[in-house]
Amino acid sequence: MSLPDWVEPVARYILLEGLPGTLRVSAIAVVGSASIGIVLGTLMTIKLLPLRAVIRLYIEVFRGLPILVTVFIVYFGLPSAAPGLEFGPLTAASIALVLWGSAQVAEATRGAVQSIPREQHEAASALGFGWVGRHGFVILPQALRRLLPPFVSLLVNIIQNSTLAQVIGGLEVLEAGERQNERLTAIPPIGLGEIHAFEIFGGVMVLFFLISFPLTRLAAVLEKRLAREGYG
Amino acid sequence: MVLATYDLWAFVSDNQAELLDGLLNTLKVSAFAIVGAFVIGAVLGAARAHRIPVVSQLTAIYVELIRNTPILVQIFMIFYALPQLGIVFDQFTVAWLSVMIWGGAFNSENFRAGFEAVPHRYREAASALGFGRLSTFLNVTLPIGGRIAIPSSINTYISVLKNTSLMYVIGYAELTTTSLNISNLTLQTTESLTVLAVTYLALVWTLSAGIRLVESRLALPESS
Repeated sequence: MSLPDWVEPVARYILLEGLPGTLRVSAIAVVGSASIGIVLGTLMTIKLLPLRAVIRLYIEVFRGLPILVTVFIVYFGLPSAAPGLEFGPLTAASIALVLWGSAQVAEATRGAVQSIPREQHEAASALGFGWVGRHGFVILPQALRRLLPPFVSLLVNIIQNSTLAQVIGGLEVLEAGERQNERLTAIPPIGLGEIHAFEIFGGVMVLFFLISFPLTRLAAVLEKRLAREGYG
Repeated sequence: MVLATYDLWAFVSDNQAELLDGLLNTLKVSAFAIVGAFVIGAVLGAARAHRIPVVSQLTAIYVELIRNTPILVQIFMIFYALPQLGIVFDQFTVAWLSVMIWGGAFNSENFRAGFEAVPHRYREAASALGFGRLSTFLNVTLPIGGRIAIPSSINTYISVLKNTSLMYVIGYAELTTTSLNISNLTLQTTESLTVLAVTYLALVWTLSAGIRLVESRLALPESS
């Protein structure tokens, strides 16, 4: 069995031009969400009302908005409100995903930090740690273990939501598929005048499945292991 | 450009009718999808929890397929790919169908977890009282497990509502499409995005507050 001639260039374009875009957006979004989210979530546990109110508002706003709307706010809203704040589609999508993801991480971190028993804080203080040292060396390392399964789920969500870059024209896997779909649909000599939308978008779907499925399995395994160790 | 003024109220009053239509379409699509996702979730969740052969395995495949692929790609499949096979839907149908399929998958997991959380001894008690499998489900597992599943399923419904914004890509005139179309015509980008964000937050925050209310009303007496 041999594949039709159109398949190879389409697959090559999606994997070589599209996939790097998806990976870039996902990598920036994961690193940004984790670092901003952990800091905000830890700060949430300080008993300082104005600080908590501000972070709470941040969390509720970016978890409440559809991510697509956040993408539009970053891509269309920022340049029109403050000239100069212009980003390319992939960067805008990354920023929007960081805003959403960091809100998710902050909420999870707050819960994890608060679940660490008070004795741990007291023991760390007794050893002479200040607030930063106490959280950095004693509380967060323990809290992060509990955050591992939600982090893997977040990674899956971010990879899938990186397709939102397609809506503003960012070249990632879905946009690569869409461009190839349009090219093939065009009348010869530009295209083939054939519709292969089902095969192309089906292929994109399979590609995302192959990336996501092992990760969701991993999240489930980590969850089970934590529950077994009594961290449920 | 001279258009760098910000007049939110003028924007709202000038475009009142369109914005209201968009909001109603968002609510209409969400309502269709949420009702569908509830039915799919309860039925398939029950099939999964009771390990009904074939249906249970097919549900597992459906759930994994939907959870592990981006919803935007699912919408593309329904809107751009299915017509190639001769299956053509109008925009409204694609809108509610795609978010219903998505929400149904997540919801069947919510209900499965809820049904499985019903203690086994309750079902044993029901069968000791002479209840059959179906009447045990309807009288014991559904009312108790369904209540356990309420908070997580409402979270899914909120996500369904938010995901209707993706219908922008198929050009269905819900809230997001309407606001962006207006802003393309009038160049009032900041105003239209403000209205869009505030409306979604109002909807989502109201629903979230509703969850807490329902949760406290319907919480099982046993679980604190």
